[in-house]
Amino acid sequence: MSNRVAVIGVGMTKFMRRAQEAPGELAAQAVRMALEDAGLDIDDIDAVTLGTAPDAFDGVHMKGEHLIAGAGGSNKPYMRHFIGGATGVMSPIHGWMHVASGKYNSCMVVAEEKMSPCTPHPAGAFITIFDRVTEQPLELTLIHIFALEMARFMHVYGYSERDLAEVSAMIKRNALHHPASQVAVDLSADDVLNSPLLSWPVKRLDISPTSDAAVAIILVNERLARTLKKAPVFIEGVGFRLETAYWCTRDLCYPDYVAMAARDAYKMAGIVDPEKDIDFFEPYDPFDYKALHHLNALLLDKTGRTVKNLFESGNLSCEGSHPMCPSGGALGVGNPIAATGLMKIAELYFQLSGQAGKRQIQRALRRGVAQAWGDLMQAGTVVVMGSEGASPVNLSHWNTMKREDLPGTPIKSVDDVPNISDAPDLRYAWDNGFAISTYLDGLKKGKIRGSLDTHTNRMMVPARPFSEIADLAPVTNYYNLPDSGVVKTFTISHVNWDSSPLPDGEVNIFAVIALDGINEDMGLVHKLGDVDPEDVKIGMRVKAVWQPESKRTGGILDIKYFAPLGRKKTNLGMTQIKPVEVDVLAMAQKQGKIPLSYRYTAGVGGAKFYADLVKGKINGTYAAERDEVIIPPAMFDEESLSILDPEKDARAVNPGSGFIRSFTVVYEDRQGHLLDKEKVVVQVEFPGVTGSIFGVLEVKDDQSFDEGSPVTLVKPEKVDGPDMVTFTLSPA
Amino acid sequence: MGVALLGMGICGFTPTSTGLSYREMIAKAAKMAYRDAGVTIDQIDGAVSAEEDFPSGYSIADEYVPDQLGMVRKPVYTIPGDFMHAVASAAMQIETGRFDILVVESYSKASNVLTKDEMIRFAFDPVYNRFGLSPHWLAGLELNSFLSEAGYAIEEVAEVVVKNREAAIANSNAPYGDKYSVDDVLDSRPVSLPLTELMCAHYADGAVIAVLGTDEAARSYSEKPAFISGIGWGSGTSILERRDHTFSIGTAIAAERAYQESGINNPTDQIDAFFVSDSYAHRQLMHMEALGVNDNHDSIVNPNGGALGGGDMFEATGGVRLFEAFSQLRGEAGRCQIDAQRALVHAWRGIPTDSCVVAILDIERRAL
Repeated sequence: MSNRVAVIGVGMTKFMRRAQEAPGELAAQAVRMALEDAGLDIDDIDAVTLGTAPDAFDGVHMKGEHLIAGAGGSNKPYMRHFIGGATGVMSPIHGWMHVASGKYNSCMVVAEEKMSPCTPHPAGAFITIFDRVTEQPLELTLIHIFALEMARFMHVYGYSERDLAEVSAMIKRNALHHPASQVAVDLSADDVLNSPLLSWPVKRLDISPTSDAAVAIILVNERLARTLKKAPVFIEGVGFRLETAYWCTRDLCYPDYVAMAARDAYKMAGIVDPEKDIDFFEPYDPFDYKALHHLNALLLDKTGRTVKNLFESGNLSCEGSHPMCPSGGALGVGNPIAATGLMKIAELYFQLSGQAGKRQIQRALRRGVAQAWGDLMQAGTVVVMGSEGASPVNLSHWNTMKREDLPGTPIKSVDDVPNISDAPDLRYAWDNGFAISTYLDGLKKGKIRGSLDTHTNRMMVPARPFSEIADLAPVTNYYNLPDSGVVKTFTISHVNWDSSPLPDGEVNIFAVIALDGINEDMGLVHKLGDVDPEDVKIGMRVKAVWQPESKRTGGILDIKYFAPLGRKKTNLGMTQIKPVEVDVLAMAQKQGKIPLSYRYTAGVGGAKFYADLVKGKINGTYAAERDEVIIPPAMFDEESLSILDPEKDARAVNPGSGFIRSFTVVYEDRQGHLLDKEKVVVQVEFPGVTGSIFGVLEVKDDQSFDEGSPVTLVKPEKVDGPDMVTFTLSPA
Repeated sequence: MGVALLGMGICGFTPTSTGLSYREMIAKAAKMAYRDAGVTIDQIDGAVSAEEDFPSGYSIADEYVPDQLGMVRKPVYTIPGDFMHAVASAAMQIETGRFDILVVESYSKASNVLTKDEMIRFAFDPVYNRFGLSPHWLAGLELNSFLSEAGYAIEEVAEVVVKNREAAIANSNAPYGDKYSVDDVLDSRPVSLPLTELMCAHYADGAVIAVLGTDEAARSYSEKPAFISGIGWGSGTSILERRDHTFSIGTAIAAERAYQESGINNPTDQIDAFFVSDSYAHRQLMHMEALGVNDNHDSIVNPNGGALGGGDMFEATGGVRLFEAFSQLRGEAGRCQIDAQRALVHAWRGIPTDSCVVAILDIERRAL
């Protein structure tokens, strides 16, 4: 059976709206701190696992690979795991697998997120989480889906906007004593209610801020934990579940998938009654209602009565019977997605080992639970941790840790530091396949089409080729459906997909609409129109308003919007149809793109590199542990994970002393088009230093060169990215 | 506790796949895998997918995993790694003793990505390495370093292309089987010299599914299981300026672990067939060096034609190698069949990484 797995050390950076550090530098600082906290060297770590959310934030494809060095994964077994926003609590679960399996004795678990490079706003990255054909054209973003869920949650469980504002205020107050906290403030519910309305019912202060940060924890098996005598806190239970991606086909009011994950974790931990057996809770709280929404599931109570009672009696505060988010949560500490989840795991460790300082819950704690959530209202990850009832670690530096003690350099603007811009051209053409092609063909003809899953007696919208819940059974019968239905939930939005405000007085109303005559939970998302926003109600009957036939293209925008139906009658008939024939015309692809651009800080090492480059200079950084000067300048040594200071530890390198280590002659540009004239990329080394610099060799037609040829750095006229790094052949 | 491969399924592999959505393609491969493994969907405890965001075109590729596997509401997560990383993760998960049967999934709709070079360039460090040039510059530079320092001639690199593409002629799943000469390869269009067009694998679409389980589950359900006797993974540093571009340290770390678990001390003699990443031709040679196999004789390395013959499929690529190894061990490799009782499956994540996996697969469970 599984080996027991303990947490024995934690490190984290400050949580910041914008960090100067590059992603790897953030990770390295958290890793270094965790190693010191556990009293280990990086060589003591058998394997590294990394959690980080969409690549669209940091702005690097395969960003897990990009983060290897910073996470301490160079020359080690290294893997990344990913479940959207639920990643941060999957991180310790993946680390647990490394150790519980007996494969490794120790595992470094790192979570990093740098959201700030994504412009104009990181929220824009979320437009491409929606189905690209049936939903993305509506220009939805994350705030809309949260608002839809929040409205539904309030409607079903009877919470008011003020109730949820109080949750936000409480959690943010808890963060006042968290050293990493980005936005801890003592707010009132009125402050939250009066903050700008973004997408009703969501106000700005209902939402956690976007953040840059990294958190690392070290997991070891029980034998090592005992040897190191580090007041281990054990992982007692883990659970993770993933719902269908068809998010309009279920009631958003209660996250069954979180409850299922919690049941898995409780079963493993031997917990029978979570209300009695768990002392405190760290549910994921990217929005205030989410904390309660998730707590309902963590207490396995779909009626919501338990949480409502605890909330109304004040028992969710740190002084209450069931403290919720004692860390200060995503709402108060900040929300660097994956790092937030791991921060919650760190809070379980701090609380259960008496290292939570002023946040310490003032009674004996036996068990805590942390949870994260993610994807399309779809993923739940749950970890239960337990102490052994040992006396608190009073001497821990965590008890007196202040924000200034944590690493991380907040900056106001990316323009305050050397930076690089890039706008990737990421374009696609999607194969829709048989079922979606049939659906799109219907839209072109003014019809909403579904397919009948005879195994579960569900009419599925949009039409699907198989039953995702009945053993992938094939589905062959397709129908034209009524184009009327009932509003299940809605939001009145004042912002665009990229978080920019809509023009004054304009709103977009998004709604999940359950179509008439089919299952209540089978709906689709669209806009509402021809209606005063004040008059929109859950339960309102609406009907599609179609584009004129000549304007329809076979896409979801062929429906302009849904408008109130009032008491008017509508055709509720369903007609079986012949689906499309499979040929290359019917299977025509839909074009798509990822509409984001990026502004990267050069990082601490990169700032030194670029500051020197503009002067035509090169400095290396002295890395004491390996007693070498390394180039390019670095904030950390990837071998020892020691932190370096590229300014203080700078060692001048003669920019004219380089020689070609290797080279290649490139014939294509970044898009794969032929260059007018080929370019030479060189890897240049310098005597007496470790490492190299890549750049372009400016070479005249009559010049020849080879490996070993001496080269000189060219002082560039401007410095705005790697293309400015050029060399010329030195005179022989 | 041992971990076994109960069954596999594929859909593809073709340069384009216009008539099938990714969902339809994956569902087809999943049904094939479940039947091959002898299990029903109910018996499967969860899924691990191997996907990255940008090849899928989604910001959170993980969302779209469960439905077409029949794994809705089950424990499911994504490894943004090669298929073989996901296999390694699933194997660990089973070894915790809390899961008996898991499904591993990956797919490629490479033909749907219109700007593949731009996407791969986007994997490079924006501060130091993201030039306004083809990302293949790194493969070209690596090839040059490898030739200078590892003692290979460019003709030997071209030989890999000739041999793998010819082997793929007999492989009905491989779209790029063909007969080329060494000169054809060397004289093909320059991409990033010394790297030429024919030294780079073309892309393909397809889906790959594997069903993993305990040895007990394999013996109960699968007619022809294979057994994982060792699996390791490793990554060279992400800092290209301080990486050795002549040697795949990621492969060496992965192999050391896999060999140790399998009790292998002489891979040349103890392994019958090698399925090794050849997304660039020189990488096959580099990987074989790092695997410690010096007797690099042709017929046992990528006998089905590798990625050069079958296509690179992003994260699914290692899964195709696993499928080929599994078919060979079962004696189901058709005209590509060689005699093999023990196979090595290797995966590399492509530029700009040196992240690799090595697994040892046996047709019979052997005593250590």
